[in-house]
Amino acid sequence: MSDGQRSPTDDGQIVVSGLTKQYRNVRAVDDLSFTVAPGRVTGFLGPNGAGKTTTLRMLLNLVTPTAGTATIGGHRYADLTDPLRHVGAVLEASSAHKGRTGINHLKVICAAAGLPKERAAEALALVGLTPAAKRKFKGYSLGMKQRLGIAAAMLGDPRVLILDEPANGLDPEGIRWMRGFLKNLAHEGRTVLVSSHLLSEMQLLADDVVIIAGGKLIRQGPVQEVMGSMTKGARVRVRTPQADQLTAALRGASATVDVDEQGTLLVDGVDAPAVGRAALAAGVELHELSTERPDLEGVFLELTAGKAGIR
Amino acid sequence: MNLVRSELLKIRSTSIWWILALIYLPLWGITLFFNYIQSDALVNGDLGEVPADQADTFDALKDPDALAANLFTNGQFFGLMMVMLLGIIVVTSEFFHQTVTTTFLTVPHRSAVMLAKLVAAAGLGVVFWLVTTAANLLSGAAVLGAIGVDARYTGAVWEAVGLNGLAYLLWAILGVGLGVLIRSQIGATVTGILLYLGGSIGAVILISTLAGRFGDWINNLQLLVPSLASSLMVSGTDDLPGNPPQWAGAAVLIGYALVAGVVGTLLVRKRDIS
Repeated sequence: MSDGQRSPTDDGQIVVSGLTKQYRNVRAVDDLSFTVAPGRVTGFLGPNGAGKTTTLRMLLNLVTPTAGTATIGGHRYADLTDPLRHVGAVLEASSAHKGRTGINHLKVICAAAGLPKERAAEALALVGLTPAAKRKFKGYSLGMKQRLGIAAAMLGDPRVLILDEPANGLDPEGIRWMRGFLKNLAHEGRTVLVSSHLLSEMQLLADDVVIIAGGKLIRQGPVQEVMGSMTKGARVRVRTPQADQLTAALRGASATVDVDEQGTLLVDGVDAPAVGRAALAAGVELHELSTERPDLEGVFLELTAGKAGIR
Repeated sequence: MNLVRSELLKIRSTSIWWILALIYLPLWGITLFFNYIQSDALVNGDLGEVPADQADTFDALKDPDALAANLFTNGQFFGLMMVMLLGIIVVTSEFFHQTVTTTFLTVPHRSAVMLAKLVAAAGLGVVFWLVTTAANLLSGAAVLGAIGVDARYTGAVWEAVGLNGLAYLLWAILGVGLGVLIRSQIGATVTGILLYLGGSIGAVILISTLAGRFGDWINNLQLLVPSLASSLMVSGTDDLPGNPPQWAGAAVLIGYALVAGVVGTLLVRKRDIS
């Protein structure tokens, strides 16, 4: 698709503002606001039941919000004239008729969206599913179903990609493929919003994160910034046969020292070079010296502590 | 138009259409056989002493136009059920296979999607009717020849054939409406069949019992049973004695189809898809 078809205001930014969904007994999403920038992969994180899927479905006009708005490039999804040319979405791995072939699944969508039916084969090739084009959906593995979902989302060559748990059911090779695929799309300037609970994967994939729990926003920002803002800084792991000596030396340098079950020292408050210098000065033999950076999982658990759980 | 094309492709790309055709074929054959026996008995058979109050009815049925109309609309009873099932499945398979998400993502205007489904189902109903009618014209002419009646192609006969087509169209729409009201594939299918078969048989028994007790005017209530309304609508001769007029059956059936289609569309517009 040429960019000429897109209005200049359609920058592909997603804006969620005051979004709320009240079900009979549960406020699934509670006054949620965040933005998603084009050209970056944004991870949408939250514990199970945090309201991620409900939020995405409100964004896509599948669920009606109780209050608030969600727009893509300044428009509500329902107001887009050719939605598939603007937004591609992958919501459920199992959303195709079991008795229909992969290529026919895409052709059905092309027909409804007014896209040329040649796009079906092109999209299949894009996700590497061409060999399985004429196989029925029920014969697809979970990974192939995910790829077919992505192919469907790419039919209209959209500016914005929205994916709900796309890594579910993928094998390591598939996950690596997905990571490269999505990063590449963001690199091309597209907006990529990915919900997931696989935090280690998100740490590798996402540029920005939006973390929600209990239907509310917990934190939004670039991954590095969110991780850097945590109370726990980098922590140094030290293994030494002379633990007591080193502990004394480090405490003298105003560091805090914990010992784990294996006898490894966990040092907070000083960096690895400082620990090395202290060991050298004290004449202590070191077997391991490494810096433990806080990972997204640790940050996530700290941020969402007490806010997750069944509601 | 794109949407209707997409809906038709949805049906063509699965096996449902030929499964229904396969179920329908033997049923069509059986009804043809019974219509042959019945026509033969009416024309050549010795029916014995016909009670005076039923003589008019028999005379009406024996009329060559009525015989031809009956044979050229052969298979209607089960054919209507098949197109109703097709209409049901056009909707419920979307929920069963969770493709409704993709469908509404592709086209957020849900009324347009529902309209396309109604048009596609109605179109398929008409195709079903065309194929059946082509087969009926051949087999019906053969049956009429076999029982020694000249094949008749009068206006009354064509009217019956045309009204039969309208019935196919309307039942397909009724099926779509039923599918929206009962989203469960199995639930809607079973309810549809029960309403169609049990409903009409039960209603016939009930209405004739009541008519025996409270007088013939009760027979007019047959109108309200969809399957009876449609058979009334297409019965090819002028009014059978004791029955309501033909156009009333058409009006009732169109009314049901409109209500089912409109209510179904309104429901889908509001519903959260999750």
